[in-house]
Amino acid sequence: MAREKIYLEEVFPSPFMQLWEIFRKTPVAMVGFACFISLILLAIFSPLLAPYSPVDGNLDMILIPPAWHSDGNVSYLLGTDELGRDMLSRLMYGSSLTFGLSFIVVIFSLVIGVVIGSLSALTKGIKSSFLNHSLDVVLSIPSLLLAIIIVAILGPGISNTVWAIAIVFIPQFIHITRYAVKEEFRKDYVLASRLDGASNFRILYYSVFPNIVERLMSQATLAQSAAIIDIATLGFLGLGAQIPLPEWGAILANGLERFYIAPWTVYLPGLAILFAVVATNLVGEGIRHALKLRKEN
Amino acid sequence: MNLLDIRNLSIELDTPNGRVLAVDKVSLSIKEGEVRGLVGESGSGKSLLAQAIIGVLQDKWHVHADRFHWRGIDLLRLSIEERKALLCRDVAMIFQEPMSCLDPTTLIGDQLSEAIDSSQLSGYFWQRKKQRKEAVIKLLHKVGIKQHSQCINSYPHQLTEAICQRVMIAIALAGRPILLIADEPTAAMESTNQGQIFRLLANLNQLKNMSILLISHDLENLTHWTNTITVMYSGQFVEAGTTKQIFNKPMHPYTRALVDSSTKANLQLPTKSRLMTLPGSIPILQHLPIGCRLGPRCPRAQQTCVVAPKVSSYHGHKVSCHFPLLYENNKKEPIKHTALKGHV
Amino acid sequence: MLTFTLRRISLFIFTMLALTLLSFSLSFLFPGDTVINHSGQINATVTELAKLNEAYQMDKNLLNQYGAYLSHIFNGDFGQSMASQSPISAEIIKLLPATIELSLVALLIAMLVGIPLGFIAAIKHQKTSDNIILSLAMIGYSIPTFWLGLLAILLFSINLGWLPSAGQISLLFEIEFVTGIQFIDILLSDSPYKWQAFRNASAHIVLPAFVVALAPATIFIRLSRAAMIEVLAASYIRAARAKGLNFSQIIFRHAIRNALIKIIRHVGLQFANLVTIAMVTEVIFSWPGIGRWLIESIYQRDYTAIQSGLLVLSCFIFIVHILTDFIYAALNPLARGNKHGS
Repeated sequence: MAREKIYLEEVFPSPFMQLWEIFRKTPVAMVGFACFISLILLAIFSPLLAPYSPVDGNLDMILIPPAWHSDGNVSYLLGTDELGRDMLSRLMYGSSLTFGLSFIVVIFSLVIGVVIGSLSALTKGIKSSFLNHSLDVVLSIPSLLLAIIIVAILGPGISNTVWAIAIVFIPQFIHITRYAVKEEFRKDYVLASRLDGASNFRILYYSVFPNIVERLMSQATLAQSAAIIDIATLGFLGLGAQIPLPEWGAILANGLERFYIAPWTVYLPGLAILFAVVATNLVGEGIRHALKLRKEN
Repeated sequence: MNLLDIRNLSIELDTPNGRVLAVDKVSLSIKEGEVRGLVGESGSGKSLLAQAIIGVLQDKWHVHADRFHWRGIDLLRLSIEERKALLCRDVAMIFQEPMSCLDPTTLIGDQLSEAIDSSQLSGYFWQRKKQRKEAVIKLLHKVGIKQHSQCINSYPHQLTEAICQRVMIAIALAGRPILLIADEPTAAMESTNQGQIFRLLANLNQLKNMSILLISHDLENLTHWTNTITVMYSGQFVEAGTTKQIFNKPMHPYTRALVDSSTKANLQLPTKSRLMTLPGSIPILQHLPIGCRLGPRCPRAQQTCVVAPKVSSYHGHKVSCHFPLLYENNKKEPIKHTALKGHV
Repeated sequence: MLTFTLRRISLFIFTMLALTLLSFSLSFLFPGDTVINHSGQINATVTELAKLNEAYQMDKNLLNQYGAYLSHIFNGDFGQSMASQSPISAEIIKLLPATIELSLVALLIAMLVGIPLGFIAAIKHQKTSDNIILSLAMIGYSIPTFWLGLLAILLFSINLGWLPSAGQISLLFEIEFVTGIQFIDILLSDSPYKWQAFRNASAHIVLPAFVVALAPATIFIRLSRAAMIEVLAASYIRAARAKGLNFSQIIFRHAIRNALIKIIRHVGLQFANLVTIAMVTEVIFSWPGIGRWLIESIYQRDYTAIQSGLLVLSCFIFIVHILTDFIYAALNPLARGNKHGS
């Protein structure tokens, strides 16, 4: 219906849409978001996109430098490693290991952490303070150290790494959810709906969660950038992904011996990790920036 | 002689949707030795105006004025540094919530002594420290704090709100100001403490002939302490005059509503009846009405009110309204306006 | 202040108990026999094993077992390393100081670089220099440590040849082991080549310390920037301006002090992060610290070493955490809790 608006009507977008509006207007955050989305797509579709197999090498084409180098070969855009495996394919497959797995790990520990955290926020007294202290202890141990210990118990391997990192991140999410829920519960609007007779779970679901979801998202991006680095670091130390797997940290460790003659086998996976972490951090920074601006307006 | 003379001061705010005129052409003048009240609802721009005078607004605010004279000196001609130096020497300001205006990690004594200008001290540098301490103690005595040694060695959070405000006044007095701007000095204080602070200010005014600009939202309370009052609404000038004129014969419908809403002016009202109020609430900055900003809430508003009214003066009683309430001599009730009759 | 101290001490005791409980339970979680995991004696004979079982009270209930384990720990007996069969406590005493040295130097660098940069960014809020510092901080925060370490070795040690890439000090210098912290040992020694040794040790620590410091420094930039922006918007800064103080007086007398207090609170938490980075860096730079030893014991499945290493490292981190809490309280009158003092 085409009708001119007579009054200057005021439209208040929902808080989430406001956030998105501000987020959209920050070019740097949008670039990061685009990179983030394309990394997710790459992680899903890498088997279709990669030109070669990540594991089988072509022994005629060993240690070819990237294509822009004078000795490079265009059919191996980023060169090959010591077994003649195409670096580009390995890095593309690696995105589903390093980036994709970190994404899944974060979602997994986010869900578990939020459930436990919000339940524990409702408890009071000695149970709550015991949990609080225990969380403090766990959080005072560095996440990578804890992951290393868990890997030591479970034994090296990519699946054990994933479990270890998931276990390490759960306390962080419990802590932040607990803190955020407790903070919201002190506010007056919760009191108002409590006076209306709403049960704790109803308050949690309808009042509290919509108000803390952005904070959780921002924490999730922080956790994901840490997860990428942790997976890569464990891979680099030889405790994570094992030899033929094209995990970025493992590729880097693999190229270490030929650092001097084939530097691209070291700096390319490093750049890939850097790219993924920067993209994740840009998204997180964009969310935090938008949250801050929304609060100010 | 006018100490401070401001004409048409405007303050604009940068927002994502362009600039907003937060304070619209307000005029204010203060005579030497007088206590002037500045009244308005919260959000009417009183604090902004005060902060603009002393020059401590953040960068996102932009201030313009047609005239800004301080003791006959045209401040608009001076550079920003000169203006600041001049004003900081002669004007002091105290804020609302004194606790948060004191540095929480520095001892009260240190905060006081850094406000004392070293030009006030005589003698050599090794005597200065002692002199400074004596000056600090003297200042604390002036504002009625007798346990000076305990106060000097305290942090702000260890003192009560009222003592903190006294300390703030002492800090303000350290520069021996000619004008003291008090921005809601008693907000969030108990009424006994409020009285103490106001009495202290009144004493300072009488003993030292210090002019005071007293900012408050409470017209009734202000009438006890002030000689003249300026009323603001939503960033616009409403009415100015002596306290008596404002309280007894308000000419602007808004002032009239303010006076009517206080119990003291309505002693003849029957018990348990409602006090008079204006409908609606003060508009938010993003959606200011054009013309007279009171327009949508005003009982006397007419078509012409979409144009901002000019200030007219009746025996020094200035009002900014197209249809002011006029009084016959010695009567408290205004003459019914002819135009209004048609409506009723 | 007394309640504050008591509170910290009780927290410390609780944490220590929790950490020992964790390392105690690790013996059950690790593959192999529990008592062997406790003691690390893999080649024990039947009689020795019986003796160990008695010492760790393995035939009694879990509480007694835990008590026996605790008493071993408090007597400084961490068992022996499964790989080298030497007592772990001796190895830890030899290795921990190197880690302390590296992490403290890195912490110092991170704070000395990060905090002033953050303050500058906050004072120049939303100007070009602020944006530049923020972008640098973002990139520095995102670089994986091991990659940065490798690049640093490639550039400064191999290509430019400025700095050594491995170890704590050149093997030519014989420095007697006193405290284990290299710089103190050098100063204590009476070697005629004291200053050469000092310079050599400094050259060795530069690369690893800067690699460790980079990520924490960027976090300090962000923390101090946020703290400073918050302080500069506070009303006491406005009041100080109205008082007639000029900008540098406000910054140096009021703003920095209040902002620092906000930052100090986070130092303890950041230190845990820093030690993790130091562990990885020790591997890359062959730094003879406890992190490298710990990772090597994982390769060798030296479970006794792993659990003791975890215990010692987390204790170290936690002690630093408590220390920063005390510094915070000393600086901040609000945290000392004498609200009703006057």
